[in-house]
Amino acid sequence: MSQINRIDSGLIDCAQKLNFTFNGQTLEGFAGDTLASALLANGYKMVGRSFKYHRPRGIFSAGSEEPNALIQLRSGAYQEPNTRATVTELFQGLEATSQNHRGSLKYDFMAVNDLFSSFLSAGFYYKTFMWPKAFWEKIYEPVIRAAAGLGRLSGEDDPDVYDKGFLHCDVLVVGAGPSGLSAALSAGRAGARVILMDEDFRMGGRLNAETLSVNDQSGHEWATQATVELSAMDNVRLMTRTTAYGAYDHGVIGALERVTDHLVSSHNKPRQILWRVYTKRTILCAGSTERPIAFGNNDRPGIMLAGAVRAYVNRWGALPGKRVAVFTNNDDGWRTAIDLAEKGVEISAVIDSRDGQPPVDVPSGATVIMGGRIVDTHGRHGIRSITLSNGQNIPTDCLAVSGGWSPNVQLTCHQRGRPTWREDIAAFVPGGELPQGMMVAGAAAGNFSLSSVLQDGHDLGNMAVSDLGFKLTKENAAISEEETIGISAFWHVKESKARAWLDLQNDVTVKDVKLSHQEGFRSVEHLKRYTTLGMATDQGKTANIPALAVMAECTGKSIPETGTTIFRPPYTPVAIGALAGRARGKDFRPSRLTPSHAWAEEQGAVFVETGMWYRAQWFPKSGETHWRQSVDREVTQTRASVGICDVTTLGKIDIQGKDAAAFLNKIYANAFAKLPVGKVRYGIMLREDGIMMDDGTSARFSDNHFVMTTTTANAVGVFRHMEFCRQCLWPEMDVHLISSTEQYAQFAVAGPNARKLLQKVVDNDHDISNEAFPFMACGEITVCGDIPARLFRISFSGELAYEIAVPTRYGDSLVRTLMAAGEEFDVTSYGTEALGVMRIEKGHAAGNELNGQTTAQDLGMGRMVSKKKDCIGNTLSERESLNKNDGLSLVGFRPVNPSDELKAGTHFLAKGKTANMANDEGWMSSVAYSPNLGHSIGLGFIKQGSERMGEVVRAADPLRGGEIEVEIVSAHFIDPEGERLRA
Amino acid sequence: MPDYTLTANTPLDGFSRDFVGVSICEVNERAIVSVAVPKDGEEKLANALASSYEIELPKAGILSAASLDNAVLFSMAQDQYFLVFDYAGNTATSVVRSHLNDAAYLTDQSDSFVMIRVSGTNSRSLLERICPLDIHPSVFPIGSVARTVMEHLGTTIIHEAEDSFLLLSARSSTYSFLDAIETSAVNIS
Repeated sequence: MSQINRIDSGLIDCAQKLNFTFNGQTLEGFAGDTLASALLANGYKMVGRSFKYHRPRGIFSAGSEEPNALIQLRSGAYQEPNTRATVTELFQGLEATSQNHRGSLKYDFMAVNDLFSSFLSAGFYYKTFMWPKAFWEKIYEPVIRAAAGLGRLSGEDDPDVYDKGFLHCDVLVVGAGPSGLSAALSAGRAGARVILMDEDFRMGGRLNAETLSVNDQSGHEWATQATVELSAMDNVRLMTRTTAYGAYDHGVIGALERVTDHLVSSHNKPRQILWRVYTKRTILCAGSTERPIAFGNNDRPGIMLAGAVRAYVNRWGALPGKRVAVFTNNDDGWRTAIDLAEKGVEISAVIDSRDGQPPVDVPSGATVIMGGRIVDTHGRHGIRSITLSNGQNIPTDCLAVSGGWSPNVQLTCHQRGRPTWREDIAAFVPGGELPQGMMVAGAAAGNFSLSSVLQDGHDLGNMAVSDLGFKLTKENAAISEEETIGISAFWHVKESKARAWLDLQNDVTVKDVKLSHQEGFRSVEHLKRYTTLGMATDQGKTANIPALAVMAECTGKSIPETGTTIFRPPYTPVAIGALAGRARGKDFRPSRLTPSHAWAEEQGAVFVETGMWYRAQWFPKSGETHWRQSVDREVTQTRASVGICDVTTLGKIDIQGKDAAAFLNKIYANAFAKLPVGKVRYGIMLREDGIMMDDGTSARFSDNHFVMTTTTANAVGVFRHMEFCRQCLWPEMDVHLISSTEQYAQFAVAGPNARKLLQKVVDNDHDISNEAFPFMACGEITVCGDIPARLFRISFSGELAYEIAVPTRYGDSLVRTLMAAGEEFDVTSYGTEALGVMRIEKGHAAGNELNGQTTAQDLGMGRMVSKKKDCIGNTLSERESLNKNDGLSLVGFRPVNPSDELKAGTHFLAKGKTANMANDEGWMSSVAYSPNLGHSIGLGFIKQGSERMGEVVRAADPLRGGEIEVEIVSAHFIDPEGERLRA
Repeated sequence: MPDYTLTANTPLDGFSRDFVGVSICEVNERAIVSVAVPKDGEEKLANALASSYEIELPKAGILSAASLDNAVLFSMAQDQYFLVFDYAGNTATSVVRSHLNDAAYLTDQSDSFVMIRVSGTNSRSLLERICPLDIHPSVFPIGSVARTVMEHLGTTIIHEAEDSFLLLSARSSTYSFLDAIETSAVNIS
């Protein structure tokens, strides 16, 4: 078979042959073809099977509204199901296969469904498969799922690359048909920044498919000329293969550009780009979509929309049939007959549902039947003949149907705008409040004649730029011949006995809509859900209005009274990959690396994600086969000598100003106003509701200068909270905040030899002895020869410890230096696991304890909430419910049987009590294995815990199973008197 | 004096790479100091700036450029400016304090940011993929500055010269930021 139905070149490039395959057969087309036009040119009528009944289906339309010709493209991991052949640009090497059949396309085993169609009407699955109940999950659902669906995913990761981006313009013109080109010309000539986008790969829209003239030249020539003029303007951006799929808040338009879908390979460049378009004005020139008429067996291959039939002939030189009949309720359908006749195609009949005289001259040889009806069609894999209501049978191999045109109002509805009905064109037009900045021109606004479309686009282009302050040019709109556009609404042939399809994609028939009405699903939203009408890839572009009309007939109401559906984005399908863009795998979110990251990698550290930070979790040594061995070693070595941990991730906030101390006094629950210079204080921060928000330290470097540390997790939240307080609550204060988290690399140096180690790097003129630099001291020092640093004598581990900070540029060098200097002390690096073990051993609260539910009192820090001053959260922390005597308190736990392992999340129950919420006494918040104690230890909250030392309770784990007995003990497992950290 | 010395590194170790129509390079040896205006101290700061750097306090979104140390000053937040100037030492605030004395609260931010210059005729095409702002010269002329978010990362963008933009983003996420820029460069080339 070789392009047996190619009649002329149309607008394609016959000099550029393209080979492609369909179901494994090699075929030939030309540059400028779509897959659909190439298949038609090669004589293919049947290209797929229907969703439910597996009926043979052919190409129905010539655009994105296509319900039938859904094709699987490419192969392997690149396989993409449900692509529309009508908008798939042909390329050399294209691989396409039909879908939704078992066996060959021609002999589909699942076509047996059609024989049982009377049992498979809308909603059948709501009423069947009710018993036996056990069959549903094991048999019915798997079988239905296997039978349903259209194409198949490859099951492999999508190897394609996607991108996204941001565009800005004064005027966005959506659609490059006659109105869009006119609008873009007006706006572009005035000097506005214009973006003109069209989903087609060729600008011109319907002008490419029609034979009407513009400015005394063919429509497509005018379109080409306009495109050339626009492309020469620096202020105009032309985007073909780009669909505006959604209108969002503030006039933002979402658009999908198919960058390489027309190429055999993307070569690792983005296949598609998702654009966010910020525009001051949007002129929607999306055109209109032809709709069918429902009659018996109107779904056979070869039955097509009339506008599509002449588009294939005029634009692509591809003949859908050699003996074509037309069935129409409007003048436009006649143009198909005329255009085809002029190309020498035999017109077997023109059946017009309207009475009276033909609106135009009848093509020679054609039988004209005014007031006619088609009641049935015949032909198994393609239409062979039609039967009229008078019994007349007319042979035909292509039936062009036109039920009128529906403006493409979809984007006007994306902000809840409801279209309004226009009786004269029997269609909905944009109505209600349009998305911000949007105007609608041309056929999308219900103006169907070419001359009005050109004028409309021109005027709205001028209006848009005039609104924006641009000076208009004196150019006039292009002019065109007037054509007749009369229509008389006619939705379905009532005389038809056979099934008449409304929604070809979802196999919804007139009978289904009537059933929906009969069963009480009468609103359009219910109709959609009951029948699946308007779902899937085409979103009912050709089906919604005829179905609504049938429902209106059933209810005895008018179409506008019956309602219309509100369209939601996307206008046409958008691949999930395009929505994800680059945000896949490691690029799902950014990573933050600590200053010692490279060094830690060299040590073979195992990293953990804490927020966006990657922190070393532990540092395995040779011979260690389990993480616990590494962590136990790090803890033991630190407590025995000295360990180093990167704590850069803790939030650091630089606070300056005459009121800095007073500001902190309000932010923290405990007092800070009188903190001496050179000292650090632990502070707790409450939310307005009195619940613990965060804890940390603040160091005072001068009267007006503090540096606060926060937890890693709350660094941003605390800063934001403080800025809110500064700017909104106390704007009269002289205080300034700036994050210095990134500015300093900070390391904890902990253990009995911490001071000795630091003394090797701290410059000699800084005395860091216990006397000169005691526990909770801070100071600005220099290290390694005048490198500025900050030193804090604070301890999270409970050991003699410091935190030393240097400008981040020296962070990598400092950790290497400390490790080298510490060799004589057998220094170890330690990660977050050892950090956690040591803080639990010491009884320090952390994120698990500050979980947004606990109070200072729960944490045993109730007395820190100063009653002598005002601070955030002070008042509400006094609520009775937060100050009950039987409230929770943070205590330690150890297993009664030392070999038992404690688990975080277990709940405490008294002995003999049933494990239920009524008997719940609290929960275990943090656990660790203590290498120093040789058993598992935990911190947790239990009612009146501080008064129950020594009591044994059960730690139950209903979720994971099991429970053990635990003893309530002090939270301070190590050095309860704090002698080590003051050493 | 300790036996040890520390070596400084830059966020990207001096990264530089050329693509078709666009170059990406790390900018170093420039210091960044936060200049915060004390309560009711705007006039005093303005005078100090005028007498030392010979510049005015800029309005939001506009650079003030000085010849002294090739400094530029721009607003980052209410009552807060960033001064970016030629300096590779460790005490950038001391340098600024020597000019402004006590007219502002100063905080060294030199190590807080990576500075990456994106330049060339395709620079706007590259930034179109990651920058949500309109950086067309008619809207964002040379000398403009803005804060925004690129690929989830807070970024300050400065239109330095024709087809040349300086981007400041947090140092810890340098490699993610660079990856976003490089990916854009690859995607548009």
